[in-house]
Amino acid sequence: MLTFTLRRINLLLITIFLLTLVSFSLNFLFPGDPLVNLSGRINPTPEQLLILSEQYQHNANFFIQYWTYLQHIFKGELGVSMASRLPINSEIINLLPATIELSMTALIIAMCIGIPIGFIAAINHKKITDNIILTIAMLGYSVPVFWLALVAILVFSIQLNWLPSAGQISLLYEIKHVTGIQFIDILLSDSEYKWQAFQNASSHIILPACVVALAPGTLFIRLARTAMLDVLETGYIRAAKAKGLSFTQIIYRHAIRNALINVIRHVGLQFANLMTLAMVTEVIFNWPGIGRWLIESIYQRDYTAIQAGLLVLSSFIFIVHILTDFIYAALNPLARDSKHGT
Amino acid sequence: MARNRIYQEEEFPSPLVQSWHYFRQNKVVMFGFGSFVFLFLLAIFSPVLTPYSSFENNLDHLLVPPAWDVNGDVSFLLGTDNLGRDMLSRLMHGASLTFGLSFVVVIISLLIGVFIGSISALTTGIKSIFLNHFLDVILSIPSLLLAIIIVAILGPGLGNTLWAIVLVLIPQFVHITKNAVKDEFSKDYVLASRLDGANSFRILSYSIFPNIIEKIIRQATLAQSAAILDIAALGFLGLGAPIPLPEWGAMLSNGLDLFYIAPWTVYLPGLAILFSVVATNLVGEGMRHALKQSKEN
Repeated sequence: MLTFTLRRINLLLITIFLLTLVSFSLNFLFPGDPLVNLSGRINPTPEQLLILSEQYQHNANFFIQYWTYLQHIFKGELGVSMASRLPINSEIINLLPATIELSMTALIIAMCIGIPIGFIAAINHKKITDNIILTIAMLGYSVPVFWLALVAILVFSIQLNWLPSAGQISLLYEIKHVTGIQFIDILLSDSEYKWQAFQNASSHIILPACVVALAPGTLFIRLARTAMLDVLETGYIRAAKAKGLSFTQIIYRHAIRNALINVIRHVGLQFANLMTLAMVTEVIFNWPGIGRWLIESIYQRDYTAIQAGLLVLSSFIFIVHILTDFIYAALNPLARDSKHGT
Repeated sequence: MARNRIYQEEEFPSPLVQSWHYFRQNKVVMFGFGSFVFLFLLAIFSPVLTPYSSFENNLDHLLVPPAWDVNGDVSFLLGTDNLGRDMLSRLMHGASLTFGLSFVVVIISLLIGVFIGSISALTTGIKSIFLNHFLDVILSIPSLLLAIIIVAILGPGLGNTLWAIVLVLIPQFVHITKNAVKDEFSKDYVLASRLDGANSFRILSYSIFPNIIEKIIRQATLAQSAAILDIAALGFLGLGAPIPLPEWGAMLSNGLDLFYIAPWTVYLPGLAILFSVVATNLVGEGMRHALKQSKEN
């Protein structure tokens, strides 16, 4: 486990190094003065420019510039936003939790619904149930997410009037910003309408989370189905059959556990996909998250915000990726070390 | 299946022909393939086939619902939008923008990616390790996010979107080609031709490419369904094709304000995107199935 941990941490460090290198070079690739892009101070006076070039070591060579940039990042200084003139790190701290909330809820929905359906499809392999599930899965990951979001709003918010169509919570409830994750904030607050606020917040998250969850959920169906089919062909299942276990016993005791491990392995990769969908969905549902902020920064040509947002978002995706790798390794001894049998 | 042998000579179908043989057997896949060909032809011939121009305004016929509606007009089969432009013509033109351009994008990135991939399969050592790590990082960033970043650098517009998607798709082709070529290189028949004195380039072009082409085609279909969704998503976000162009994603965002009065301006382009992505995915599924079957036999 130690070598495995060291290897993963090594990978994480290399990746984050590459990501900072990319976001640093973005400052030079974006139109305009690199120094202005880096700091976000538009139209600086000559004096300010001098101070800035002192701060970012702009006249030194490339490596020292990059090193100073890294030091700024570790101090948490990501510059100020060109559009709102607020420091970017405080904006990100405000916005990132909402995105985490949405994407995690969607991930949970996708896994809880997708994986069991995939298992059902695998158990009924080459029967009508399998075909129906596969057809639905195919449709599910072919649907463009923005269109799905619009249709969902039209049906569930406008025509049926079941769920609200935009925002994170109704403006009537005043919830103090503590962690940024709405549900935890509500539970922490001492408002007397806590329970109503909680209900309101959950009715707001259902629609966007389901929209985000559809495509990853259908991919989980396929992954779970393939994993289960692979497991059902292995020797230990045949051995269990030979022992005289009934089919349900085989599935519940042996097959599900082993198939689940192989699905968990792919969660990290799916999460990256899910985050992209969440970005687009945030725009449509007016969700106050980092994806919507990033896309708005592109409209406003807020280059400082774009490079900082990119850095934070992709690091977040990668950290989740590494975390799922750890969970996978903790569950599956084979992944840690090839010594544990073959 | 036993075959009647009329002729003495033994025929050995090439891997591609073999896959086609398995591919043809599935009816659903063939339906997808038919739709794919239909969209392809539509993309080429849409300027000749469309009843109206995609920019022509019919100010007497604003927001006419589709012909099956009570208020519909049969001369505008799928209705008109807020400027009285015929939806059917716009959707047909959109086929050449969204579907046709995604096809072109995939071909370009396929050529570049396969080229880089086969060269990198032949290199070893520190260069190859660096490339592997770099590819891992790039592949872990979702394609749409990467495309959005590249568009942010290049600036919005349809041309820049296409370049962005080309750049995004290249690493996937590099990855798949590299692995496939490496796998093939360790096989005996490659060793045989190497012993015959063939150089690496000859082995690549005569022995390896005919054997890995189905894998590349399968990756191309996956890439195309991603490309269609990305072009449409960027168009919808206002970063890709400008609103007057009949690109499906841009059409969708154009209809957004009138969504509740004229829902067909939103659901028709969405269905068009869905249809083309499903057709492409079906072809990819069929390819995967054919590959699996020919491997098993």
